[in-house]
Order: sequence, then C-alpha cells, then structure tokens
Amino acid sequence: MWDQQFEELLRQYLPFLPADEQLTEGTPLRDFGLDSLGMVELLAALEGTYDVRFTDDALSIETFESPGVLWKQLADLIPSAV
Amino acid sequence: MKTESRTRTAMVFPGMGPSSFADVGKFMLINPHARKLVAVADDVLGYSLVDKFRDTEGDYSEYAQVAFLVNCLALAEWAEKTLDVVSEIVAGPSFGEKAATAYSGSLPVEDVILLTAQLARYLDDYFAVEHTDIVTHSFVRVGEERLADIKGELTDLDEWHEISCYVDDDFYMLTLREHNLEWLKKRLRAIGGLSLYTMRPPMHCGIFEPLRTKVAEELFTNLEFADPRIPVVKDQDGSEITTGAGVREMLLDGFVRPTRWTDIVATLKARGIERVCVAGADSLFSRVGLTRKNFDVLAVNPRMAMQPRRRAAVA
Repeated sequence: MWDQQFEELLRQYLPFLPADEQLTEGTPLRDFGLDSLGMVELLAALEGTYDVRFTDDALSIETFESPGVLWKQLADLIPSAV
Repeated sequence: MKTESRTRTAMVFPGMGPSSFADVGKFMLINPHARKLVAVADDVLGYSLVDKFRDTEGDYSEYAQVAFLVNCLALAEWAEKTLDVVSEIVAGPSFGEKAATAYSGSLPVEDVILLTAQLARYLDDYFAVEHTDIVTHSFVRVGEERLADIKGELTDLDEWHEISCYVDDDFYMLTLREHNLEWLKKRLRAIGGLSLYTMRPPMHCGIFEPLRTKVAEELFTNLEFADPRIPVVKDQDGSEITTGAGVREMLLDGFVRPTRWTDIVATLKARGIERVCVAGADSLFSRVGLTRKNFDVLAVNPRMAMQPRRRAAVA
C-alpha cells in the first residue's frame, strides 16, 4: 500500500473526489478529474517529491489509470518503498 | 471591482478540446449570454443547435464546434458583465481564432457562426479523402533540442513531418504519418517525454495548402472583414493585427502554419499584459506552465458561470 505522502499528493489532482471518500487501488483517476494536464503536473510533483525520474514504459497514460497502477510504477523507481 | 478593471487584461479564446453536452448543455440552456447566442446560431444555421449537439456523437462534430464557439463568446460576455473584465487585446490559438474574430468585431457573429459550421464540413470532406494517413500527436517534457533530434531522425528516414503547435518550451504537437506513431511514442518515452493524445483530422501543416485555397475561394470571397476594435494577436507569429485583411489572413494561415502559443505569450508579455481571461471550456492554454508563469489566469468556463453568485447591492 502507498504512503501518506502519495495519498495527499494524488488527492490534490482529483477535484471530483470528496475528501471523505476513500482512495482505493482501483479508483478510476480520470473519472475523479485527473485530465491530461493534471497528469503532467502530477508526474512532475511525484518526481520532485520522491526524487525519481519516470522513463520508458512508466511514461504512458495507462500509468495514471488508478492509484494502484501509479504507485506500482513509482515503487519500482524507489526500492525503499516496496 | 474597479481594481479588477484596471488590470491590463487580454481576452484569450482557447483551442478546441472535448466538451460534452453533459458538461456544457446546462450552461447553454440557462445562461442568458449563451441563450442569446444560441438563438442567433439557430437562426443562422436553420436548426436547433442544442438539439443537434445533444443528439450527435463525436467531440468535433459540426454542432460541437459551433457550440464551443458560442460558449466561448458567451463566457467572454459573462466575464465582462459579471466580473468587470475589460480587455485591451485578444488572442485565439488554433480554433480560438474564430471566436477572436467575432469578439474583435472583424466579422459579425452571425458570419462567424456560419463560417464555423461550413469549415467543419469542409474539413470533414477534405480529410475523408486527403492525407488519410496523417495524425497530429501531442506530447510534453521534450525540450527543443531533443525535439530537433527526433525531427532529424524522421528526416533521415525520409519521413514527412511538421510541427503543428508550439504550446510551451517542452510541449509540442507534431504531425506525421500514422505508421510512424508507435516509433514516435517509443522515442518520446525513452527520453522522458509523455505522450498525451493523437488527433485526426490533423491541422496546421503546409501540405494542406489546397484546403486553404479551396476555403479562400469558396467561403471567404463574400466575407467583409472589418478592422478589429482591439488588436488581435496573430496565432502564427504573435504579431498584432489591426486590419480586417490581417484577420482574414490569420484565419486562412491557420490551415497551413503552426499555432505558436509561445509567440502569443511573448507578445502579450512585451505589451505589459498582466492577466489573461481565458474564455471557454479549456484544459490546455490556461493551464500550461508558460501561461501560469507569465500571467494571472482568469479561466472562465461554463462550470464557473453556473455557480450561484451574490447579487451586487443596488445603490
């Protein structure tokens, strides 16, 4: 499961997700307001926060499908998170 | 409110993005500025814009395009009346050129509505048979030098390509043959770029000159472009247009020359513009770093206009 930092950061880019609604591994991020520019901003925020750089297969729209998929890609870049 | 009106402001009409009836239909039915313009559109086009828009699939149908135009203009009016926005200059990247043309008074709104519907049909017809293998692909996190490398590789492979839109210093739209798309996406990923979306029909390329010529001959001949009441920033190079002929040229050049938002921003900045009022359901130009870095951004969209507002006290 992801850390609190990830949860707080991700929520900032989900304008349609009520504060009291739980974020699950399968929450469809697009449905809750993560659009293309939101992905770009979120990506930069994640890279800055975790001091990592997404490349190759991690850099696709599919990475931003759900919190579970996104966290898995991020965790692969920060071994201490696994 | 008086402080607001002193802020040096540019009105900006965005390029078109997906804007569904579910998202904007209520605005079109309820907002008085939108209703007025929808009625004009119904008269000019001979059909109910709202009905057609609601009942037709496709993000870029003729009806979706006219609806987007009408909503942009209605939102600009709403911002002026409700938020006391006063603009000294107007810009309209890509599709936004049309709204800028009407807003500046270079063409009557009736003419722009009809032209928008006609152009949608011309584009459909043209790209149904021409350049059927070409797409426009947008991506971010790729700087100018890296992009030059990619373009060089395509040239070495003898593959045609053109940049269609300069959005930011690391954000571009590249038009190329569809069989190169997967190659491009892979190359972008390898250098840390993020692919966003692929569009068809493509736009803003030199090879579409026959379309420009056809439109000029068949649709523009009877249009009388007046000098705009405020300068219009030219989409293709950021120059300030002050004549009707200039506005006409901008609209036609939009078929064959790239949109340069980067140049538009530079012009507005050099003029001393402090704020851009982006009128329309925009998810791009009001949000990219280049815009945010240089201006206060007042993004006026249907959602904002539909929120209840406190009535001003009457003296």
